[in-house]
Amino acid sequence: MTERGDITEERLRQVRLGHGANCSSIGSVVDTLFATATVGAAIFAAIVAALATEPVRVVQPGPEEDDSEETGEP
Amino acid sequence: MIVRYESWGAWVRLESTAAVVAIDREAVRALGLDGGDTWNPGPRVSAPIEVHLAVTARCGAGCKGCYLDARPDGVEPGREALESSLDGMRDAGVFTVAFGGGEPTTREDIAELAEAARTRGLSPVLTTSGLGLSEARIARLHAFEQVNVSYDGADATYSEVRGFDGAQAAERAIEALAAAGVRVGVNVVLTKQSFPHLERTLRRARSLGACEAQLLRYKPAGRAATIDYLASRLTSEQRRDFAPTLRRLSGLLCTDGDFHLRIDCALTPLLSADAEIMSDPARLSRFGVFGCEAGASLAAVTVDGHVAPCSFAPATGLRAGNLATGYGSDGELARWRSYVDAPPEPCASCAIRGVCKGGCKVVSTFVSGGHEPDPECPRVESYREAAARSAVGFAKECA
Repeated sequence: MTERGDITEERLRQVRLGHGANCSSIGSVVDTLFATATVGAAIFAAIVAALATEPVRVVQPGPEEDDSEETGEP
Repeated sequence: MIVRYESWGAWVRLESTAAVVAIDREAVRALGLDGGDTWNPGPRVSAPIEVHLAVTARCGAGCKGCYLDARPDGVEPGREALESSLDGMRDAGVFTVAFGGGEPTTREDIAELAEAARTRGLSPVLTTSGLGLSEARIARLHAFEQVNVSYDGADATYSEVRGFDGAQAAERAIEALAAAGVRVGVNVVLTKQSFPHLERTLRRARSLGACEAQLLRYKPAGRAATIDYLASRLTSEQRRDFAPTLRRLSGLLCTDGDFHLRIDCALTPLLSADAEIMSDPARLSRFGVFGCEAGASLAAVTVDGHVAPCSFAPATGLRAGNLATGYGSDGELARWRSYVDAPPEPCASCAIRGVCKGGCKVVSTFVSGGHEPDPECPRVESYREAAARSAVGFAKECA
């Protein structure tokens, strides 16, 4: 692993907040959709800060190749 | 942070902030990493980032709409079998495992199972009815990132949804979990009866110590897969009022950052009734809103260890222990995730199609007989009403 460079907010494709603890369907925080631009910017800034400082561990499941169209695009 | 490479970059689960983030390749490189073979050309199927694990089918609550049809004498898998499923999740690079059932807190080894998930790099969370949640049982739940209590409303609202009076027990559980330092949220099932009381329900949950509420669409699975579903589901008017209600309640309850509102994947199509949301679909995606992720970012594992597209869908033949090697090639899972590739109208032209992914397939299968546009989506309803009017007009012209 080499030294880290800067990650800007534009490099974040999706931010899914919270743990969620429902066992039957996947949930998404939505109050942020209605928040002010200032609140939204603060959320993304906090994520960028965390990405800059947290230790990194890689999990590599090696997803299978498949004949169908690519999925999982966020 | 934990990084999992994807063809487009990587999913990252942060540790200091409760968040899962999708970053592009340039950001991955900025971390000093490279996706290697994952970034080579060629179609790939991503593993789920969240798996729902039924750790028991045993439950004495008897909720009338239980999607698992859990009973007091339900099946309960052994710990070894569950740990084998957790191995499969670890091998696939899953981030979150949600324990449910059945009532998971009745298991004596629930703390050990949470620890087993953690040692495999998974974040364990849990859903409980809260019934019979003694101090001893709460003490077993500290290893979970969060525990959600099923709480559809106070007093009669709860019993209208569940079929028994369990509201006070659920409230005591929320309060006790919060007092014990367990991060606690609530799951609120939205039915025709519970929706009008939503503000009161959420205020009550927050006052008891809940940090978030996850709103759940009522689904026709298990004991709810009967004709009664049609009488219990949200009305057409309520479905159209859903997004404005979210906006209003977010403004009332979520301004200080201590309480969050979540919606489940099946409620995402209801956002199509909101012109402001439809005018900026990228915002939905950027804030990580998920629609139907069954067989994609979401999978479920049944009490007998088989993988299902989601908790409400029938199981496939794939064993959870083989999640890493079999997820992409299983034909039934592929059928669930492929709908969004070429859906019919009105999904085809929908601005939020990429997020919503056609709505809840469990609902469409029950109501319409297959994977079709979600019949309870406001946009689908409007489209079909317009088509019916057009057909009537055409018939009159021909007469």
